[in-house]
Amino acid sequence: MTNHWIDLKNSDCILIMGSNAAENHPISFKWVTRAQDKGAKLIHVDPRFTRTSAKADLYAPLRSGSDLAFLGGLINYIIEKDLLFKEYVVNYTNASFIVGKSYGFSDGMFTGFNTQTGKYDQSKWGFEKDADGKIKRDNTLSDPRCVFQLMKQHYTRYTVDRVVEMCGTPQDKVLEIFNAYAATGKPDKAGTVMYAMGWTQHTVGVQNIRAMSMIQLLLGNMGVAGGGVNALRGESNVQGSTDHALLFNTVPGYLPTPSTAQPMLADYLKLVKPESKDPMSVNWKKNLPKYAVSLFKSFYKDEAPEQAYSWMPKLDVGQDASWLVLFDEMLRGKFKGFFAWGMNPACSGANSNKTREALTKLDWLVNVNIFDNETSSFWHGPGMHPKKVKTEVFMLPCSVSVEKEGSITNSGRWMQWRYQGPKPLGDSRPDGEIIYELAQKVRALYKEQGGAFPGPVLGLNWEDMGDGRAFSAHKTARLINGYYLKDVEDKQPDGTVKVHKKGSQVVSFAFLKDDGSTCSGNWVYCGSYVDEDPKKGNRAANRSKEQSPAQANVGLFPNWSWAWPVNRRVIYNRASVDLTGKPYAPQKPVLAWDATGKKWDIDVVDGVGGPGAVHPFIMQVEGMGSLFGPGLKDGPFPEYYEPLECPVSEHPFSKVLHNPTALTFAGEKHNSCDPRYPFVCTTYRVTEHWQTGLQTRWQAWLLEAEPQMFCEMSEELATLRGIKNGDKVWLENTRGKLWAIAIVTKRFKPFTVQGQTIHEVGIPWHFGWRFPKDGGDAANLLAPSVGDPNTGIPETKAFMVNVRKA
Amino acid sequence: MSNGKSFLVDLTKCTACRGCQIACKQWKKLPAEKTKNTGTHQNPPDFSYNTLRVVRFSEKEVNGKIQWFFTPDQCRHCLEAPCKTATNDPGAIIIDEQTGAVVYTEKTAKESYDAVQGICPYNVPRMDKKTKIMRKCDMCIDRVKAGKLPACVASCPTGCMNFGDRDAMLKLADERLAEVKKKHPKAQLVDADTVRVIFLTEDNPTLYATNLMADADATPAGRGGYTRQELFARLAKPVKNVLG
Amino acid sequence: MTLSRRGFLKLSATAALTSAFSGIGFAAKPAAQKAAIDRISQLKPEWSKQTTTACCYCAVGCGLIVNTALSGAKRALNIEGDPDHPINEGALCAKGASIWQLAEGNPGQPNPRLQKVMYRKPYGTKWEEKTWDWALERIAKNIKRDRDATFAEKNAKGQTVNRCEGLASVGSAAMDNEECWAYQAFLRSLGLTYIEHQARI
Repeated sequence: MTNHWIDLKNSDCILIMGSNAAENHPISFKWVTRAQDKGAKLIHVDPRFTRTSAKADLYAPLRSGSDLAFLGGLINYIIEKDLLFKEYVVNYTNASFIVGKSYGFSDGMFTGFNTQTGKYDQSKWGFEKDADGKIKRDNTLSDPRCVFQLMKQHYTRYTVDRVVEMCGTPQDKVLEIFNAYAATGKPDKAGTVMYAMGWTQHTVGVQNIRAMSMIQLLLGNMGVAGGGVNALRGESNVQGSTDHALLFNTVPGYLPTPSTAQPMLADYLKLVKPESKDPMSVNWKKNLPKYAVSLFKSFYKDEAPEQAYSWMPKLDVGQDASWLVLFDEMLRGKFKGFFAWGMNPACSGANSNKTREALTKLDWLVNVNIFDNETSSFWHGPGMHPKKVKTEVFMLPCSVSVEKEGSITNSGRWMQWRYQGPKPLGDSRPDGEIIYELAQKVRALYKEQGGAFPGPVLGLNWEDMGDGRAFSAHKTARLINGYYLKDVEDKQPDGTVKVHKKGSQVVSFAFLKDDGSTCSGNWVYCGSYVDEDPKKGNRAANRSKEQSPAQANVGLFPNWSWAWPVNRRVIYNRASVDLTGKPYAPQKPVLAWDATGKKWDIDVVDGVGGPGAVHPFIMQVEGMGSLFGPGLKDGPFPEYYEPLECPVSEHPFSKVLHNPTALTFAGEKHNSCDPRYPFVCTTYRVTEHWQTGLQTRWQAWLLEAEPQMFCEMSEELATLRGIKNGDKVWLENTRGKLWAIAIVTKRFKPFTVQGQTIHEVGIPWHFGWRFPKDGGDAANLLAPSVGDPNTGIPETKAFMVNVRKA
Repeated sequence: MSNGKSFLVDLTKCTACRGCQIACKQWKKLPAEKTKNTGTHQNPPDFSYNTLRVVRFSEKEVNGKIQWFFTPDQCRHCLEAPCKTATNDPGAIIIDEQTGAVVYTEKTAKESYDAVQGICPYNVPRMDKKTKIMRKCDMCIDRVKAGKLPACVASCPTGCMNFGDRDAMLKLADERLAEVKKKHPKAQLVDADTVRVIFLTEDNPTLYATNLMADADATPAGRGGYTRQELFARLAKPVKNVLG
Repeated sequence: MTLSRRGFLKLSATAALTSAFSGIGFAAKPAAQKAAIDRISQLKPEWSKQTTTACCYCAVGCGLIVNTALSGAKRALNIEGDPDHPINEGALCAKGASIWQLAEGNPGQPNPRLQKVMYRKPYGTKWEEKTWDWALERIAKNIKRDRDATFAEKNAKGQTVNRCEGLASVGSAAMDNEECWAYQAFLRSLGLTYIEHQARI
């Protein structure tokens, strides 16, 4: 989230799309309801009428996978009706930038596509620069090669008629929503979007979110109270686990994973340091070399930065090691050992049968979990013959959250400290303890016996994560924040010199160094643990509700927990004021310039300097919000494509049916327009369960509320297939087969798409064969292993199935 | 006696998150039931000895528009509790004077379940088959007496469940009704004069749940042919006389 | 009749003093059992310690209060929303409201949580109970054997990669920040590049 949960109350119009917030983030509705009480409009756009729709002022159905038509249509509508916030667009976005001559778009394809590799050459999408290397701009937005004109041209195809034709949304609803949302383009109005996996789990997932970001920029909704682009993250610490890079493509702090293109530290530091010739661009990322060196020093504090870097594993250039690829490689026998730590991939990954078979190719599997589950027990699951499965399995019991101490980071980037209640039950142990002890055992083996490339194994900085025997959350939190590795002198603004003592905590990432004198496990968290004494230093544990009246007005709570970065609660907040520092929404400012004190009040401002001193989007190289985004693999403007499995053979936006860059696997068939699998299927969660249900299915209070796999369908489809409410039905496609109890409901309606009736059904993904015995199995048995080209996130929100009475 | 306590259940704000349904079980450590999906999200299907509150789901099409009505259902703590009149032992059902809570004790085991259950205008009380003890919501009277909110109210995210002094709740109910009526002219307070758990609906209460309003039609066995509302109306008389 | 809280407790069918108090471990302490401790009293400092936590489910980050018995089994007695927390102000959804059950199981029944290290040998047909030492030592040996066998300092093109090809990991957004950091550092020190988790799916 660029904003945070409480901030929802400040909105004038809340669009929930790609999310069912009332069911999956129920407490968000405390703040959504507050906004409604103050007159805000709540809009829900979703394939089915949910508990969220029930509370919406405006609900519109939309066929799964057609979101980009809707969002592209809204962009077109805003431009065509001139409803944008022009001053904001000119001053704070790249609308005025002139795009280079090699960029072009024709009939669904951008320039630079290589049909051999299936990839674009993104360098074709650069900006025009003048002799000094500064990007050329036209602030009148009239140059035909400026971003604004190219965008306008790109989206003229996205007419309301075509939105209706592909989404199946009634025209009056489309117009009502476009008008209501575009009304937030007024300077003092704020519109916000709440989205979740309903937008990401598509082969155009990232572009769904980019399209909405563009809408927010056009309407001046970024950086303001009650605005922003708000991803509702689904796990208590998925924000933190992402920040700390439990992903193949980053290392902690959103730094890229080193690759063979950067054999030496110098190559890497060059890669991560972008350059801007615009003196008004803060270009914060130019500091990344300091953060990178501090990171490598946090791993290997006794080594020189060059040595520490050389010990980091490197990807081949362009190598994709994301989830779907990982399991594809596993199926081919690439891996001998595998950890499924606090996860249940046998149910959670798309194409479960493929995943489950892949597990049989392993020599050994370690599964750390709270309950027995479909992954640890895969060897005795449906269709498995234990005597033929070679995999050695370790099922390790970990403790639950209330039995340990440490911090988690919520969707609003608040880092919150949790304390231990009861001690771990039975032989269960906190994950940190298991990791720590296992690592000490591996290290002891290398110490005794030597082995391949032992340097990093022996050299890793375990000293700062425990006491040699036990893991310490506090020590690790201090390492993540970072500390001085030697005495460091810092010149103060008044000319005096301050000495930071070796071993003392670094108080902000502004003080991190690229010479190896500081370490920081994650620069984003620098400032979270600023003194060795937890009482003084551990800001995640802050529990004061003290705030100024202006802070209280927008519900900022700056003294409760700590938010990254630098306790900033609304990211890009400099865009909430004009170039003179005047808030666009004077009734709910997030920033106020104190001209006498020469400082900003309310929230922590983005970037240094007074009003108009710098561009607001400091994490962008040029400081401007990106209406044109050359960084994505599938084009600088979001473009409409159908899901890889879809019920239509063409669409009116171009001749290109699917995303040409989508992640796919050779030999896997996709069932588009296949009469055997005529129905669109989507997957989702319910309030009472969580993820694969691994935890919640074992809890009787939750299981009694949602006891079994179900399939929601319209009355029309039920009639067509002779299914009655409560009947057992089979869902099937080329990948798998699944039973469910039919919930025949008015809340699903058939869609009219290109004049045809298209039926859609929906299933939750919380069930698995292991427990309860009559609960059903995983929705992912049916989902395809295809993914977004940028993220690799599987398209589990739209694929094709057949449904019949069991 | 003061006017005691009351709930305002503002159904315009219920999202059916079922936090209250579980919070009730959590506080009282009530066991779960073995359930099946029968084509609805409502589960457990109804009240039971171990399920003192249940969120009811009701899908309706009103003027071509889909509506999904949610009702976190519970004992209404009637101002003049009919169930009490159906008992012999004054210690079986106690009306707490301070709060007005209608509290069942283990002595209900000696009472007639048909009479107690049958007379309830909202079909709330349930009995344990083994012990014959009857049970229903007790207003979390232990919490309330300790200055805490009932577990269901404490857990409610949106302001649907409200609890406090009856006068304050009646005032809040009137204010909310006036506000809701602007959007929903058919909005109403259900049985506000006779119960301590006042539901605010945005439309006809029968769209929400069968027993949201005091039952006017049902004539199940055990009530001697009288409807619940008739029983309710004739409470002045001892219940035995009513039932003949 | 006006009920005192204690008077009520003696009478109420709902507040029967049963399994709710197993956390204090009455069974082992008949003396304590006589001094009837009701649900309210057990929240007091003489009976339980109070800690704050944040919900382990979605990422709204709701605050909760955990009361843990000071005596007996020393298990959690009650977990409910923290009314002081600015985000949830005491509110919880169905999942949040059930966290006591996640820790302690279903009232009156054995806790279904994993409480022992379990092991299934290659081609085995059943689980075997093992000790932590046994399991961690064996996993450590497996790691070393397969890391040593599959570690590549160079790729096919002869470029430096310093990575372990034969091991992979998924997990976990369910861990604390400090655990996530330690885990990724451990994996990267071994040379893993196939490191993924929930954020990808």
